Amino acid sequence: MPRKISWIIGGLLMGLLILFTFSVFGADRPIGASTYVPYFASLLFGLDPQNYEYAAEIENAGAWEGVMLLGAFFGALFMSLFVTKTFRFSVVPSLWKERKNGSAVSRLLWSFAAGFVMIIGARLAGGCTSGHFLSGASQLAVSGLVFGGVTMATLIITGRLFYNRKGEKR
Amino acid sequence: MIDKIVHMFEVAAGEGHGSLASILLIGFLFGAIIHWTRVDKFEKIAGFAMLEDMTVPKMLFLAIGTASIGLYFLIEAGYAHYHIKPLMLGGVVIGAVLFGIAMAIFGKCPGTGPVSIAEGRIDVLVGAIGGIFAGALFTVAYPYLKTVMGPDFGKITLPSLFEGRETLVILIYGTVLVVIAFLLPDKEYLDPEEDEQKASF
Repeated sequence: MPRKISWIIGGLLMGLLILFTFSVFGADRPIGASTYVPYFASLLFGLDPQNYEYAAEIENAGAWEGVMLLGAFFGALFMSLFVTKTFRFSVVPSLWKERKNGSAVSRLLWSFAAGFVMIIGARLAGGCTSGHFLSGASQLAVSGLVFGGVTMATLIITGRLFYNRKGEKR
Repeated sequence: MIDKIVHMFEVAAGEGHGSLASILLIGFLFGAIIHWTRVDKFEKIAGFAMLEDMTVPKMLFLAIGTASIGLYFLIEAGYAHYHIKPLMLGGVVIGAVLFGIAMAIFGKCPGTGPVSIAEGRIDVLVGAIGGIFAGALFTVAYPYLKTVMGPDFGKITLPSLFEGRETLVILIYGTVLVVIAFLLPDKEYLDPEEDEQKASF
Protein backbone atom coordinates (compact mmCIF):
# COMPACT_ATOMS: atom_id res chain seq x y z
CA MET A 1 0.00 0.00 0.00
CA PRO A 2 1.34 3.47 -0.85
CA ARG A 3 2.02 5.66 2.21
CA LYS A 4 0.26 8.62 0.63
CA ILE A 5 -2.17 9.25 -2.21
CA SER A 6 -2.19 12.32 -4.45
CA TRP A 7 -4.71 15.14 -4.36
CA ILE A 8 -6.12 13.82 -7.66
CA ILE A 9 -6.99 10.36 -6.31
CA GLY A 10 -8.02 11.86 -2.96
CA GLY A 11 -10.19 14.54 -4.60
CA LEU A 12 -11.95 12.00 -6.82
CA LEU A 13 -12.54 9.62 -3.89
CA MET A 14 -13.88 12.51 -1.78
CA GLY A 15 -16.18 13.53 -4.67
CA LEU A 16 -17.52 9.96 -4.83
CA LEU A 17 -18.01 9.87 -1.05
CA ILE A 18 -20.00 13.14 -1.19
CA LEU A 19 -22.21 11.60 -3.90
CA PHE A 20 -22.67 8.35 -1.95
CA THR A 21 -23.63 10.28 1.19
CA PHE A 22 -26.15 12.44 -0.70
CA SER A 23 -27.67 9.43 -2.48
CA VAL A 24 -30.59 7.43 -1.16
CA PHE A 25 -28.22 4.41 -1.04
CA GLY A 26 -26.02 6.24 1.48
CA ALA A 27 -27.64 8.71 3.87
CA ASP A 28 -29.82 11.02 1.69
CA ARG A 29 -28.17 14.00 3.40
CA PRO A 30 -25.00 16.08 3.07
CA ILE A 31 -21.74 15.46 4.94
CA GLY A 32 -21.33 17.90 7.82
CA ALA A 33 -18.79 18.02 10.61
CA SER A 34 -19.26 20.88 13.04
CA THR A 35 -22.70 20.35 14.60
CA TYR A 36 -21.36 17.38 16.56
CA VAL A 37 -19.19 19.73 18.66
CA PRO A 38 -22.03 21.63 20.41
CA TYR A 39 -23.87 18.28 20.51
CA PHE A 40 -21.02 16.67 22.50
CA ALA A 41 -20.87 19.84 24.63
CA SER A 42 -24.57 19.50 25.43
CA LEU A 43 -24.02 15.85 26.45
CA LEU A 44 -20.99 16.68 28.62
CA PHE A 45 -22.45 19.75 30.31
CA GLY A 46 -25.98 18.38 30.57
CA LEU A 47 -27.53 21.13 28.40
CA ASP A 48 -30.66 19.19 27.57
CA PRO A 49 -32.96 19.95 24.63
CA GLN A 50 -35.95 20.72 26.93
CA ASN A 51 -34.18 23.77 28.33
CA TYR A 52 -31.97 24.93 25.49
CA GLU A 53 -33.41 25.90 22.13
CA TYR A 54 -30.14 25.31 20.30
CA ALA A 55 -29.64 21.85 21.82
CA ALA A 56 -33.10 20.92 20.56
CA GLU A 57 -32.43 22.35 17.09
CA ILE A 58 -29.24 20.33 16.58
CA GLU A 59 -30.17 17.08 18.32
CA ASN A 60 -30.70 15.06 15.13
CA ALA A 61 -27.88 16.54 13.06
CA GLY A 62 -25.52 16.41 16.05
CA ALA A 63 -26.19 12.73 16.73
CA TRP A 64 -25.72 11.80 13.05
CA GLU A 65 -22.44 13.69 12.86
CA GLY A 66 -21.31 12.31 16.21
CA VAL A 67 -21.62 8.75 14.84
CA MET A 68 -20.07 9.79 11.51
CA LEU A 69 -17.05 11.43 13.15
CA LEU A 70 -16.58 8.40 15.40
CA GLY A 71 -16.25 6.42 12.17
CA ALA A 72 -13.81 9.05 10.86
CA PHE A 73 -11.70 8.71 14.00
CA PHE A 74 -11.42 4.95 13.53
CA GLY A 75 -10.83 5.28 9.77
CA ALA A 76 -7.92 7.62 10.45
CA LEU A 77 -6.62 5.49 13.34
CA PHE A 78 -6.64 2.42 11.10
CA MET A 79 -4.76 4.25 8.34
CA SER A 80 -2.21 5.83 10.69
CA LEU A 81 -1.43 2.50 12.37
CA PHE A 82 -1.38 0.15 9.39
CA VAL A 83 -1.02 2.07 6.13
CA THR A 84 0.80 5.38 6.59
CA LYS A 85 2.37 4.19 9.88
CA THR A 86 2.54 7.81 11.06
CA PHE A 87 0.97 7.34 14.50
CA ARG A 88 3.06 9.03 17.19
CA PHE A 89 2.26 11.39 20.05
CA SER A 90 3.31 14.93 19.16
CA VAL A 91 2.59 18.48 20.28
CA VAL A 92 4.31 21.01 18.01
CA PRO A 93 3.95 20.57 14.20
CA SER A 94 7.12 20.94 12.07
CA LEU A 95 5.91 23.96 10.13
CA TRP A 96 4.85 25.74 13.38
CA LYS A 97 8.43 25.22 14.65
CA GLU A 98 9.79 26.64 11.42
CA ARG A 99 7.51 29.68 11.09
CA LYS A 100 6.29 30.46 14.64
CA ASN A 101 8.22 28.99 17.57
CA GLY A 102 9.34 25.76 19.19
CA SER A 103 7.37 26.20 22.41
CA ALA A 104 4.85 23.51 23.33
CA VAL A 105 3.07 25.89 25.72
CA SER A 106 2.62 28.49 22.98
CA ARG A 107 1.29 25.88 20.54
CA LEU A 108 -1.18 24.46 23.10
CA LEU A 109 -2.51 27.88 24.16
CA TRP A 110 -2.98 28.98 20.55
CA SER A 111 -4.63 25.64 19.70
CA PHE A 112 -7.09 25.98 22.56
CA ALA A 113 -7.96 29.57 21.61
CA ALA A 114 -8.22 28.79 17.88
CA GLY A 115 -10.33 25.67 18.54
CA PHE A 116 -12.67 27.85 20.60
CA VAL A 117 -12.96 30.63 17.99
CA MET A 118 -13.35 28.08 15.20
CA ILE A 119 -16.48 26.52 16.71
CA ILE A 120 -18.07 29.91 17.46
CA GLY A 121 -17.40 30.81 13.82
CA ALA A 122 -18.70 27.54 12.39
CA ARG A 123 -21.90 27.67 14.44
CA LEU A 124 -22.58 31.33 13.59
CA ALA A 125 -22.11 30.46 9.92
CA GLY A 126 -24.18 27.27 10.26
CA GLY A 127 -21.48 25.03 8.83
CA CYS A 128 -17.78 24.43 8.24
CA THR A 129 -15.42 23.17 5.56
CA SER A 130 -17.54 20.02 5.24
CA GLY A 131 -21.10 21.33 5.47
CA HIS A 132 -20.69 24.66 3.69
CA PHE A 133 -17.78 23.94 1.41
CA LEU A 134 -17.70 20.26 0.40
CA SER A 135 -21.48 19.78 0.59
CA GLY A 136 -22.78 23.35 0.14
CA ALA A 137 -20.59 24.31 -2.78
CA SER A 138 -21.32 20.94 -4.46
CA GLN A 139 -24.96 22.04 -4.54
CA LEU A 140 -23.95 25.54 -5.74
CA ALA A 141 -25.54 26.97 -2.58
CA VAL A 142 -24.81 30.70 -2.33
CA SER A 143 -24.37 30.29 1.46
CA GLY A 144 -21.56 27.79 0.84
CA LEU A 145 -19.88 29.93 -1.80
CA VAL A 146 -19.93 33.06 0.41
CA PHE A 147 -18.58 31.02 3.34
CA GLY A 148 -15.85 29.47 1.19
CA GLY A 149 -14.76 32.78 -0.33
CA VAL A 150 -14.64 34.71 2.96
CA THR A 151 -12.91 31.81 4.77
CA MET A 152 -10.18 31.46 2.14
CA ALA A 153 -9.53 35.22 2.12
CA THR A 154 -9.22 35.51 5.94
CA LEU A 155 -7.21 32.25 6.05
CA ILE A 156 -4.55 33.66 3.72
CA ILE A 157 -4.51 37.12 5.37
CA THR A 158 -4.08 35.48 8.80
CA GLY A 159 -1.37 33.18 7.42
CA ARG A 160 0.53 36.24 6.24
CA LEU A 161 0.14 38.25 9.48
CA PHE A 162 0.35 35.56 12.16
CA TYR A 163 3.45 33.65 11.06
CA ASN A 164 7.02 34.75 10.40
CA ARG A 165 8.05 35.13 6.78
CA LYS A 166 9.90 32.23 5.22
CA GLY A 167 13.57 32.30 6.23
CA GLU A 168 13.01 35.21 8.64
CA LYS A 169 14.93 35.13 11.93
CA ARG A 170 12.73 34.50 14.97
CA MET B 1 -22.59 9.21 30.18
CA ILE B 2 -22.90 5.74 28.59
CA ASP B 3 -26.67 6.09 28.35
CA LYS B 4 -26.17 9.38 26.49
CA ILE B 5 -23.84 7.71 23.97
CA VAL B 6 -26.40 4.92 23.48
CA HIS B 7 -29.04 7.61 22.99
CA MET B 8 -26.84 9.27 20.33
CA PHE B 9 -26.73 5.99 18.36
CA GLU B 10 -30.49 5.56 18.72
CA VAL B 11 -31.22 9.09 17.50
CA ALA B 12 -28.82 8.72 14.55
CA ALA B 13 -30.29 5.34 13.58
CA GLY B 14 -33.85 6.65 13.72
CA GLU B 15 -33.45 9.71 11.49
CA GLY B 16 -33.95 7.93 8.18
CA HIS B 17 -30.53 9.10 7.01
CA GLY B 18 -28.85 5.75 6.60
CA SER B 19 -28.39 2.79 8.93
CA LEU B 20 -25.81 2.98 11.71
CA ALA B 21 -23.56 0.78 9.57
CA SER B 22 -23.72 3.14 6.60
CA ILE B 23 -23.17 6.26 8.77
CA LEU B 24 -20.11 4.61 10.33
CA LEU B 25 -18.90 3.49 6.90
CA ILE B 26 -19.24 7.04 5.52
CA GLY B 27 -17.27 8.30 8.51
CA PHE B 28 -14.61 5.59 8.20
CA LEU B 29 -14.04 6.42 4.53
CA PHE B 30 -14.12 10.17 5.25
CA GLY B 31 -11.38 9.77 7.88
CA ALA B 32 -9.37 7.33 5.75
CA ILE B 33 -9.38 9.55 2.62
CA ILE B 34 -8.45 12.67 4.59
CA HIS B 35 -5.68 10.86 6.44
CA TRP B 36 -4.29 9.09 3.36
CA THR B 37 -3.95 12.35 1.42
CA ARG B 38 -2.48 13.91 4.61
CA VAL B 39 -4.73 16.97 4.23
CA ASP B 40 -5.54 16.93 7.96
CA LYS B 41 -1.97 17.96 8.74
CA PHE B 42 -1.06 21.39 10.09
CA GLU B 43 1.50 21.58 7.29
CA LYS B 44 -1.24 21.18 4.68
CA ILE B 45 -3.94 23.50 6.15
CA ALA B 46 -1.84 26.22 7.82
CA GLY B 47 0.61 25.60 4.96
CA PHE B 48 -2.13 26.73 2.57
CA ALA B 49 -2.64 29.86 4.72
CA MET B 50 1.11 30.55 4.31
CA LEU B 51 0.88 29.59 0.61
CA GLU B 52 3.53 26.91 1.17
CA ASP B 53 1.27 23.99 0.24
CA MET B 54 -1.59 23.91 -2.26
CA THR B 55 -2.75 20.32 -1.73
CA VAL B 56 -5.87 21.36 0.24
CA PRO B 57 -7.38 23.79 -2.31
CA LYS B 58 -6.50 21.48 -5.22
CA MET B 59 -8.23 18.53 -3.59
CA LEU B 60 -11.23 20.62 -2.43
CA PHE B 61 -11.82 22.14 -5.87
CA LEU B 62 -11.52 18.77 -7.61
CA ALA B 63 -13.90 17.08 -5.14
CA ILE B 64 -16.49 19.87 -5.33
CA GLY B 65 -16.22 20.21 -9.12
CA THR B 66 -16.79 16.52 -9.77
CA ALA B 67 -19.42 16.17 -7.03
CA SER B 68 -21.44 19.15 -8.30
CA ILE B 69 -21.84 17.62 -11.77
CA GLY B 70 -22.40 14.10 -10.42
CA LEU B 71 -24.95 15.35 -7.90
CA TYR B 72 -26.93 17.12 -10.62
CA PHE B 73 -27.36 13.87 -12.55
CA LEU B 74 -28.04 11.89 -9.36
CA ILE B 75 -30.83 14.31 -8.43
CA GLU B 76 -32.24 14.35 -11.98
CA ALA B 77 -32.39 10.53 -11.81
CA GLY B 78 -34.26 10.73 -8.52
CA TYR B 79 -31.54 9.12 -6.40
CA ALA B 80 -30.72 12.18 -4.25
CA HIS B 81 -32.16 15.49 -3.06
CA TYR B 82 -30.90 19.00 -2.54
CA HIS B 83 -30.28 20.06 1.08
CA ILE B 84 -29.52 23.76 0.77
CA LYS B 85 -28.45 25.81 3.80
CA PRO B 86 -30.11 29.25 3.89
CA LEU B 87 -27.95 32.32 3.34
CA MET B 88 -28.02 33.95 6.80
CA LEU B 89 -25.75 36.76 5.67
CA GLY B 90 -24.59 38.13 9.05
CA GLY B 91 -23.92 34.68 10.49
CA VAL B 92 -22.19 33.35 7.39
CA VAL B 93 -19.88 36.37 6.97
CA ILE B 94 -18.98 36.91 10.65
CA GLY B 95 -18.70 33.14 11.12
CA ALA B 96 -16.46 32.71 8.07
CA VAL B 97 -14.12 35.51 9.21
CA LEU B 98 -13.70 33.89 12.65
CA PHE B 99 -13.43 30.44 11.05
CA GLY B 100 -10.73 31.53 8.58
CA ILE B 101 -8.61 33.16 11.30
CA ALA B 102 -8.93 30.09 13.54
CA MET B 103 -8.21 27.68 10.68
CA ALA B 104 -4.93 29.46 9.83
CA ILE B 105 -3.73 29.30 13.46
CA PHE B 106 -5.11 25.87 14.43
CA GLY B 107 -4.26 24.27 11.08
CA LYS B 108 -7.39 22.09 11.38
CA CYS B 109 -11.13 22.28 10.84
CA PRO B 110 -13.92 20.42 12.63
CA GLY B 111 -13.81 17.48 10.19
CA THR B 112 -10.02 17.08 10.09
CA GLY B 113 -9.62 17.48 13.88
CA PRO B 114 -10.68 13.93 14.85
CA VAL B 115 -8.50 12.59 12.01
CA SER B 116 -5.44 14.30 13.49
CA ILE B 117 -6.27 13.25 17.05
CA ALA B 118 -6.33 9.66 15.76
CA GLU B 119 -2.71 10.17 14.70
CA GLY B 120 -1.62 11.20 18.21
CA ARG B 121 -1.66 15.00 17.89
CA ILE B 122 -2.00 16.34 21.45
CA ASP B 123 -2.26 19.99 20.32
CA VAL B 124 -5.36 19.12 18.30
CA LEU B 125 -6.94 17.36 21.28
CA VAL B 126 -6.41 20.54 23.31
CA GLY B 127 -7.96 22.59 20.49
CA ALA B 128 -10.94 20.23 20.43
CA ILE B 129 -11.46 20.83 24.17
CA GLY B 130 -11.49 24.56 23.37
CA GLY B 131 -14.12 23.78 20.75
CA ILE B 132 -16.29 21.88 23.24
CA PHE B 133 -16.30 24.91 25.56
CA ALA B 134 -17.25 27.10 22.59
CA GLY B 135 -20.07 24.68 21.73
CA ALA B 136 -21.42 24.95 25.28
CA LEU B 137 -21.16 28.75 25.26
CA PHE B 138 -22.88 28.93 21.87
CA THR B 139 -25.74 26.72 23.09
CA VAL B 140 -26.29 28.88 26.18
CA ALA B 141 -25.89 32.23 24.36
CA TYR B 142 -27.88 31.21 21.26
CA PRO B 143 -30.94 33.39 21.99
CA TYR B 144 -28.65 36.46 21.89
CA LEU B 145 -26.29 35.29 19.15
CA LYS B 146 -29.05 34.52 16.68
CA THR B 147 -29.98 38.21 16.54
CA VAL B 148 -26.73 38.94 14.62
CA MET B 149 -27.09 35.97 12.24
CA GLY B 150 -29.63 37.48 9.83
CA PRO B 151 -30.88 38.74 7.43
CA ASP B 152 -32.08 35.45 5.96
CA PHE B 153 -31.96 35.44 2.14
CA GLY B 154 -33.36 31.91 2.04
CA LYS B 155 -32.07 28.77 0.34
CA ILE B 156 -30.68 30.37 -2.81
CA THR B 157 -28.37 28.60 -5.24
CA LEU B 158 -26.31 29.86 -8.16
CA PRO B 159 -28.48 28.14 -10.84
CA SER B 160 -31.66 29.66 -9.33
CA LEU B 161 -30.26 33.08 -10.32
CA PHE B 162 -30.07 32.00 -13.99
CA GLU B 163 -33.55 30.72 -14.69
CA GLY B 164 -33.86 28.51 -17.75
CA ARG B 165 -30.10 27.90 -17.91
CA GLU B 166 -29.70 25.80 -14.75
CA THR B 167 -28.03 22.78 -16.41
CA LEU B 168 -25.53 24.93 -18.28
CA VAL B 169 -24.61 26.86 -15.12
CA ILE B 170 -23.94 23.63 -13.21
CA LEU B 171 -21.83 22.11 -16.01
CA ILE B 172 -19.75 25.28 -16.43
CA TYR B 173 -19.30 25.64 -12.66
CA GLY B 174 -18.15 22.05 -12.21
CA THR B 175 -15.77 22.24 -15.15
CA VAL B 176 -14.28 25.56 -14.02
CA LEU B 177 -13.59 24.18 -10.52
CA VAL B 178 -11.85 21.10 -11.95
CA VAL B 179 -9.74 23.31 -14.24
CA ILE B 180 -8.81 25.56 -11.29
CA ALA B 181 -7.76 22.46 -9.31
CA PHE B 182 -5.29 21.56 -12.05
CA LEU B 183 -4.10 25.13 -12.67
CA LEU B 184 -3.23 25.89 -9.02
CA PRO B 185 0.53 25.37 -8.55
CA ASP B 186 1.46 21.87 -7.43
CA LYS B 187 3.33 23.18 -4.40
CA GLU B 188 3.82 20.96 -1.38
CA TYR B 189 5.59 21.33 1.97
CA LEU B 190 7.13 17.95 2.74
CA ASP B 191 7.33 17.34 6.49
CA PRO B 192 10.99 16.66 7.38
CA GLU B 193 10.05 15.00 10.71
CA GLU B 194 8.07 12.40 8.85
CA ASP B 195 10.45 12.01 5.91
CA GLU B 196 7.41 12.79 3.77
CA GLN B 197 7.61 12.14 0.03
CA LYS B 198 5.42 13.30 -2.82
CA ALA B 199 2.62 10.85 -3.55
CA SER B 200 3.52 8.52 -6.41
CA PHE B 201 -0.07 7.97 -7.61
